[in-house]
Amino acid sequence: MNQNYGIIAAFDTTPELYHACEKVRDAGYSQWDALTPFPVHGLDAAMGMRRSNVPRFSLAGGLTGFCTGMGFIAWLGLSEYPLIVGGKPMFSPMFAFPVSYELTILFTAFATIFGMFFLNQLPMHYHPVMKAPQFVRAMDDRFYIVIEANDPKFNATAIRDLLAKAGGKDIVELES
Amino acid sequence: MSAPASTAPLANKFLVAGLAGLAVTALGLLVADPHGVALSYLVAVAFWAAVAIGMLMLIMIHHITDAGWSTVIRRQFEHGVSAFKWLFVLFLPLLACIWLKPGLIWPWMDTSTVLHGTHTVGEDPLYLKKASFLNRNMFTGMTVAFFGIWIWLSARLRKASFSQDSDGAAKWTFMNRKTSAFGIPLNALALSFAAIYWMKSLEYHWFSTMYGVWFFANCMRAGMAIGVVITWWLYRRGDYKGVMNTNQLHCLTALAFAFVVFWAYVTFSQYFLIWNANVPEETFWYNIREHGDWLWVGMLLLFGHFFVPFIAWLRYRNKAELVPALRVSLWIAAIILVDLCYNVLPALKDAHDEPLPFLSLNLLWVLASVIGVGGICTWSYLKSFPTAKLIPIRDPRIVESLTHHEATAPEPGQVVEGAH
Repeated sequence: MNQNYGIIAAFDTTPELYHACEKVRDAGYSQWDALTPFPVHGLDAAMGMRRSNVPRFSLAGGLTGFCTGMGFIAWLGLSEYPLIVGGKPMFSPMFAFPVSYELTILFTAFATIFGMFFLNQLPMHYHPVMKAPQFVRAMDDRFYIVIEANDPKFNATAIRDLLAKAGGKDIVELES
Repeated sequence: MSAPASTAPLANKFLVAGLAGLAVTALGLLVADPHGVALSYLVAVAFWAAVAIGMLMLIMIHHITDAGWSTVIRRQFEHGVSAFKWLFVLFLPLLACIWLKPGLIWPWMDTSTVLHGTHTVGEDPLYLKKASFLNRNMFTGMTVAFFGIWIWLSARLRKASFSQDSDGAAKWTFMNRKTSAFGIPLNALALSFAAIYWMKSLEYHWFSTMYGVWFFANCMRAGMAIGVVITWWLYRRGDYKGVMNTNQLHCLTALAFAFVVFWAYVTFSQYFLIWNANVPEETFWYNIREHGDWLWVGMLLLFGHFFVPFIAWLRYRNKAELVPALRVSLWIAAIILVDLCYNVLPALKDAHDEPLPFLSLNLLWVLASVIGVGGICTWSYLKSFPTAKLIPIRDPRIVESLTHHEATAPEPGQVVEGAH
């Protein structure tokens, strides 16, 4: 059993990294990542990343917020504390709408931000890549691809070959 | 980029369809109630004016915000606003009508019009208070001014943009930015007063401060809906292949999506404030619109103008792929027409002062007029189309627009995978 976290390869320019990502994507790996000092436009597509699942959390949050607003106001007016205000009915979606709409936004915002934290597992205080010496330059002027050992297709020899062919330098295994 | 195929045969088809639509409308004046036909024609003129006003606003917002992504689409809006001079020509019959037969369309133009069978407009204190604003001279002068503003702004924006294609001078960009800086408030005033004079004054007792904003929301939605239709047409024709990518389309539909919510916000606010205050001089307008089948038209607007496009466009794919985006846009264009009918047609009353139903022969005249006016406007767009390059090739922002994020084609299978 491989005890290491994975294999890391360095790239000097964004085009090199971009095309290497396309090769890793096409080779069918799923547990891997690219490390860059700045956002690279289109890299998500080159990595074959699908669109985020955060919107599903947002939608669920929005629906919950809307129903909470409508439900609370209906419960209050119809059963808990019926009170005639301005000759209006005990409950109408009209006057419940502004509040429900605000709660829709509030709950959507909460669901979005917490859904994002849930999916990307942030905040994360420790990650094996962070103790690798290469990590310093990934925050400065170099680009890296890390293929993790828990990838179902993981094979150290094949990956070293692939990364070398894609132009990767300083290919080493990372401690976990 | 290959030379685009000629649009002349298509333009001629639209011209023939337009003239046929106008002929049917004119025939309607002879065989049906002229009041209904005239209001149907007003709906059609307002609808296509809304499209052109929205396009004009989008061009100016593009310039004032120094936007990048919309540069490739802006050229089509510049062709679209060429329709203003024809819209003015098409408005002339309505202007002629108010001088030849005042009171036929706008009841306050004839002070002898009887209200509720008791007194006349001339004796109505609510009219007399507004008489300096609501009179034929003001209406005529203001309408000429609206079209003057629209035609002048469009001509300036078109000239600068088209000239830049040949000389690439930066001064044209600065000129457009200046035009937009004073053009946006001018257009905002023109479209608000147009909505007040043309539509709101049909029931001049009523007032709503949201009315101009409501029309503005419809203008923007109409402009962008037709913008998506044009994009689809140019893509299918081949012109936009390799030019239009997922992200530009997504930006356009996302802006249209924002205006779905904006329309709902404005329209709900208007209804909610009137409902909450519950004073008769405001509520009567909605009471009329809860009579007969108008209640269901109102429900159709609530769900069809807001919920349907809102839910549909929550999905990324429906914004970033052309065919789903086209479907939603066509639906929006159709429902804007219903919205204008809802605002205009209940001014037709029967002998008991109740509004005539929505489902009636008037829909035929609305349809004929929409085809008539729309045929002429589309003909104007297609006639302008070959006079300039497909995209503003020497605009300073054109490269930024063409490479707007990654460039994938807005087609099925391309969007999620992000293939190149």
